[in-house]
Amino acid sequence: MNNMWILNMGFVALLICTGLYCLLTMKNMVKLLIGVEIIAKGITLALIASGYARDNMLVAQSLAITVIVVDVAVIATALAIIISINRHTKSLDVRKLTKLKG
Amino acid sequence: MHLFLMIGLVAFSIMAVLSRDLLRSAINLAVASIFLAIIFFRMNAVYAGVFEVSVVAGLITVLFITAIALTRGDQEVVENKRHLLIFPLFFLILVIIDILVMKNLLGKIPAMVSSETGTFGEVLWKQRTFDLIGQIGVIFAGVLAVLALFRQGEKNHHGGKE
Amino acid sequence: MIFLFIIVPLVLAALMPLLGKISKRFLPDLLANATMLFLLVFSVISAKPLIANGGVIQQAFWFGAPINIRLLLDGFSLFMLFTISLVSFAVTLYSIDYMEQYGAKANYYALLLLMIAGMNGLVLTSDLFNIYLFLEVAAVASYALVAFGQGHDELEASFKYLMLSAVASAFILLSIAIIFGLTGGLGFGAVASGLKTLNIKYVVGFCSGLFLMGFGLKTALVPFHTWLPDAHPSAPAPISAMLSGVLIKVSGVYAMMRIFLNVFGLTPALTTVLTVLGMASIFVGALAALGQKDIKRMLAYSSISQVGYVILGLGIGTPLGIIGGLFHLFNHALFKSLLFLNAGAVEQSTGTRSLDQMGGLAKRMPLTAATSAIGSLSIAGVPPLNGFWSKLLIIIALVQAKMHVLAFLAVLGSVITLWYYLVLQHNAFFGKLNDTWKSVKEAPFWMSAATVMLALLCIIIGLVFPMIIHSWLQPAADVLSSGVAVTLNFIGF
Repeated sequence: MNNMWILNMGFVALLICTGLYCLLTMKNMVKLLIGVEIIAKGITLALIASGYARDNMLVAQSLAITVIVVDVAVIATALAIIISINRHTKSLDVRKLTKLKG
Repeated sequence: MHLFLMIGLVAFSIMAVLSRDLLRSAINLAVASIFLAIIFFRMNAVYAGVFEVSVVAGLITVLFITAIALTRGDQEVVENKRHLLIFPLFFLILVIIDILVMKNLLGKIPAMVSSETGTFGEVLWKQRTFDLIGQIGVIFAGVLAVLALFRQGEKNHHGGKE
Repeated sequence: MIFLFIIVPLVLAALMPLLGKISKRFLPDLLANATMLFLLVFSVISAKPLIANGGVIQQAFWFGAPINIRLLLDGFSLFMLFTISLVSFAVTLYSIDYMEQYGAKANYYALLLLMIAGMNGLVLTSDLFNIYLFLEVAAVASYALVAFGQGHDELEASFKYLMLSAVASAFILLSIAIIFGLTGGLGFGAVASGLKTLNIKYVVGFCSGLFLMGFGLKTALVPFHTWLPDAHPSAPAPISAMLSGVLIKVSGVYAMMRIFLNVFGLTPALTTVLTVLGMASIFVGALAALGQKDIKRMLAYSSISQVGYVILGLGIGTPLGIIGGLFHLFNHALFKSLLFLNAGAVEQSTGTRSLDQMGGLAKRMPLTAATSAIGSLSIAGVPPLNGFWSKLLIIIALVQAKMHVLAFLAVLGSVITLWYYLVLQHNAFFGKLNDTWKSVKEAPFWMSAATVMLALLCIIIGLVFPMIIHSWLQPAADVLSSGVAVTLNFIGF
């Protein structure tokens, strides 16, 4: 049971690092958000796997659902910001976001 | 079987990161979500699975596609071409580290069984009631945030010193 | 009913859009201020006696039946509640006049109230997952508030802030998931007792690292500080005051200290890391602030530097260090929000934030200049203002803990602080009046009222600080310095 948890956590680590890689190297704002979304997936998986390992499935599920709800709120806000930025710059490139420096 | 599903999940996530087209990225992400949902079903997390399919694969994908459609037609973003080279290298190192760490940890974590009774609804309502309030708060915040960002009119703004 | 701290702002936030339809300005102004005043009075009069004998756990009721919402109120959380209520009252008072230029006041107040509800929830909860959840409520509201002006700068800052904050939340939540997997529980007591029996150092160390990164990003500790100098200046002035004054402290310092000191227990390694990070923040923030031309940006860098003092004091872990750190946290909430509000008043009157273009404004805006001088002297640690005492306590604690080098560096940091605040005062308010500002007027009534209130508090607290320490800080510091033991007593939940 617990080796299963460690195996799952290994995959969680892979997902999170993929997401972080995306955040660190990509230049498209929507792509960055996809990275955030991948990290969120990894974390939902971590929660469910933890609940599975501890035989605490119901609590884990309610946590996972809360995380999903939070995620929707964050993604919606972020997309609203991206669309607004797009109205100003007509671009999705983060390299265009260089007005604030120093 | 579990392993294949996991590998599928990671593979589709990677494709979502690496594919050039944003729309394809969003769809890859949705497929990864469905994989995750199947994993949840197999782990007896039915409610989480249903949520994952309906909200993440459904709602969030719709949000992404709407946003992509609204921002389309402008200049394309030029990504670094070398991702296809760098990423596999990065990923390989990651997998090796991951396997080594996991091997070290195997069997180290003691088992601990906690028994629980009741149905899902009862747990959500009776044990994690505070979460519901937090969820309400987050939903409000999201809605109000979108309203605030898209508000029109009566805006005699001073900030943008272009 | 401690529960009111969360439910009142939440319900009002839900009502705000409707109220905004009925009356565009008057009702939202009135209700938001009334709510804040109520929370402030409530935290002093009714919540304070509750914790006379240490922390209490209160159960919430739903139609007479007890439900599983158990709020933990102890010295530390009450202290934070009081700080939040005080600053947000000043901020709502100030917003009456200041937010006119942005429009959509009801929407603004709704977001502000949600942020406060989120922070209050975070402070009162006794469960790791709820910490994450309420952190996120406050964070989502703050993203929108930073971008409230809809200008390019605001949106850009908000986007950067959102991305880094999302990563921070992810680290925090991952750590919570691992702890959940290890101990099977999420309540502070269950986790503390679970970790005690397990004895797995490396995994706990890994979780501490994740928490440190996550909360470090939220607190803007160096090297995780890059988002703050963008996000805080771009927001509308009252929101800058709110973010710098309380949000980084609640979602960063409070949550970090609660988990590290009361759930994990402070280890020597953690003390070292916290003091080093605190010291780095003090210097990076102070030196970066020296070179700034934008008044709000300078204040934002100064926030990084001053929060460094807070972390330094709390990180030492001795009772005196904790008192000093908490006192500085409170003082910083007061004078940094005061300074941001003043910067907003100047920006509104002159239309610029650049220190080069200002000058001699004291002749036209005497109240703003005077309150700003009090704030600057206080933050720089000039006796007998409040900032002096808290810095003194931190330095004495450092000397007591035999960290003489750090004590010396802390004094040096304070000198740099004095330097750039003198530069700020000189460039903005003193000297020759720039001809451009001949027709500049003093800030409107409510804005001045808020700043004068905060400035008076700075002076009064500087004069009666032993009383403040005795009645407010001591209970809070007791909770923190008793460490894990206090949490283990609450195993019942």
